[in-house]
Amino acid sequence: MSKIYILVIEDELEVMDVIVRDLNLFEKFFPIETASNVSEAKRVVEKIYKNKDKVGIFICDHIMPGENGVDYLVELQKDKETSKSRKILLTGQAGLEATIKAINEAGLNNYISKPWKKEELISVVKDNLTEFVINNEENLLKYMSILNASKLAEVARQRIPLKE
Amino acid sequence: MRKILGFSLGFIGFVLPFIFKFEGLSFAGHIGLSIFLLAAMFWLFEPIPIYGTSLLVISLGVLLLSSQGVLYMNSSLPTIDLIPKGNNIYQIPRKALTNKNEIYLINDKKETTPIKVEIVEENESSVIIKAENLSSTKICSNVEHKLVGYKPNSYTEYFYSLANSIIMLFLGGLLLADAATKYNLDKNITRAILKPFGYKPSMITLGLLSVTAIVSAFMSNTAATAMMMTVVLPIIAQLEFDDPFKKAVVLAIPFGANLGGIATPVGTPPNAVVLAALSKQNIFIPFGTWIALALPLVIIMVLFAWWLMLKTFPPKIDKFELKMTGSFDKSSKAITLYVIFVITVLLWTTEALHGISANMVAFFTVTALVITNVVDVKDIRNIPWEVLWLVAGGIAMDIIMRNTGLGNWLVSRVAWTHLGSMGVLTAFALVGIILSTFLSHTVTATILAPLAVGIGVAGNLGEGFSVSLGAVVLGIATSFAMALPISTPPNAIAVSTGLIDTKGMLKVGLPIGIVGIILMLIFAKFYWPLILN
Repeated sequence: MSKIYILVIEDELEVMDVIVRDLNLFEKFFPIETASNVSEAKRVVEKIYKNKDKVGIFICDHIMPGENGVDYLVELQKDKETSKSRKILLTGQAGLEATIKAINEAGLNNYISKPWKKEELISVVKDNLTEFVINNEENLLKYMSILNASKLAEVARQRIPLKE
Repeated sequence: MRKILGFSLGFIGFVLPFIFKFEGLSFAGHIGLSIFLLAAMFWLFEPIPIYGTSLLVISLGVLLLSSQGVLYMNSSLPTIDLIPKGNNIYQIPRKALTNKNEIYLINDKKETTPIKVEIVEENESSVIIKAENLSSTKICSNVEHKLVGYKPNSYTEYFYSLANSIIMLFLGGLLLADAATKYNLDKNITRAILKPFGYKPSMITLGLLSVTAIVSAFMSNTAATAMMMTVVLPIIAQLEFDDPFKKAVVLAIPFGANLGGIATPVGTPPNAVVLAALSKQNIFIPFGTWIALALPLVIIMVLFAWWLMLKTFPPKIDKFELKMTGSFDKSSKAITLYVIFVITVLLWTTEALHGISANMVAFFTVTALVITNVVDVKDIRNIPWEVLWLVAGGIAMDIIMRNTGLGNWLVSRVAWTHLGSMGVLTAFALVGIILSTFLSHTVTATILAPLAVGIGVAGNLGEGFSVSLGAVVLGIATSFAMALPISTPPNAIAVSTGLIDTKGMLKVGLPIGIVGIILMLIFAKFYWPLILN
């Protein structure tokens, strides 16, 4: 069974810890991986897809040492596999130009500005993972206890197999 | 790996009858055996989709066994006239005599009949025989010819399997279910029936079992399960508590569906398969009769499943509310559907009163749904046509077995009469449930139904056995196989929720299978013969 990862890319370790703690409730269904810069993230992504697993959602900071977050998200959008992943920018310092680029070229799904509220982050991640599994997974039933159940149920009903 | 194994075994099975000659089996019977072995291996190991194998059976029948196919095109039986050599004494060529001292008489219709003769004198090339009261003077000059003991049928007979009357019945059932889902009828019926079951977890479990059983009696087990899961799971899954009740709920749905499928001819494909095999022998079990046979069994088994679930997963909470919202669709198309649905079910169940076959009613239903625009072209495309092909492949296999004499030959390999009628029924039931625990129920029924019918037709098993009894026992036995997640698609759906594991499923599913088989055999002994004459 292939796993769906949450990948958090953030250079400040204390901030990373808070994000991971906030998203702890997803861990059982969606293992969380972390990277402190883009080149590390690339290694993690390569490893994940090599194992036939996938990244359901990228939560990415913008200003980091090395390549910046928005450029990386644009790169991800150009790749066949990672273009399916949901992409969230979690940052305090992305300028207008970078944000526009993220929306137009990286298919950005959400922008969360620092500091964030825990409930807000959870709800955004939940909605995005719900969308991801609806678009990429056959079996939706097993996610009902963790994601948006009524939305999953609605879609699952449309997909009812008539065959035996 | 499995693919390679399936392909190899299928190929070996196909080739075997060309290498070994089986005593008592005609040339055509050997071809039939080739097709049967190939199909059985392909159905078992699925190197190609099972409905693909079904189409292959039809194609091979047309290609190798029909009068227009490559083997029998332009072929005719080699005949000679008997040369009289005195009173009832004839001289015939050596090749016209079988090694059992039989000759094949040919009548006006080109049919061959074996006749036992006495040998008076023989030499290398010819034999002098004595035979009395011969009805014809023409005999076959070569008893090993491919037309001996076999009259090829037209290729159209194989194609008709795709439009067999049972296929029409199933088509009606599938389109009706399709339409019911479209207008949320299934969901709203569920809501309406579940309401009176109240708030006690034990009663809710019974409610879910019963509702799923009722819905799946008219739509496929898988669709019924998937529908119920999408209705109930969002409520159950989000609950914080960890209670065995959750397990009871996710098991009640698939098991209710598996059991409910038994209740009517359209409930699940194995029912259609055995009915189709019977119809080839001109035995027809009316819709209402099937219900009279099966429904009491289903009710007892649902109650047993309920008791077993409460014992295995006793709920700790004492109150639970299944909040379900929604209302019946009141658009004119939806109302038309309700009317068609009710009329169809009424006509199906009262066949004994009006005499219109359920198969005919089903086709009228399809027509009504289409001309009233209740279903559109998208819904028609939504019909799982491959399920119909699967059943058609079984019918074609049945044609092959009957026409080539393969069925009789296979059946005569085992001395069934020694087992007695109950012994044979028990054997059908056990083979049926064991195979379908690991294989598709439809495939199990497809492979075994022609044999079961053949045994019934061929062997005199005495008091308490009839062709239809054997076939029904086999068909229903396959539906009791629900011990493992792979046993049925509804079970697979339940396990995919992550709320129940294989062990939990086995704890309830295995006893249901065992008790179901025993109870069914009791029914077959004491109750069914009263209805099936």
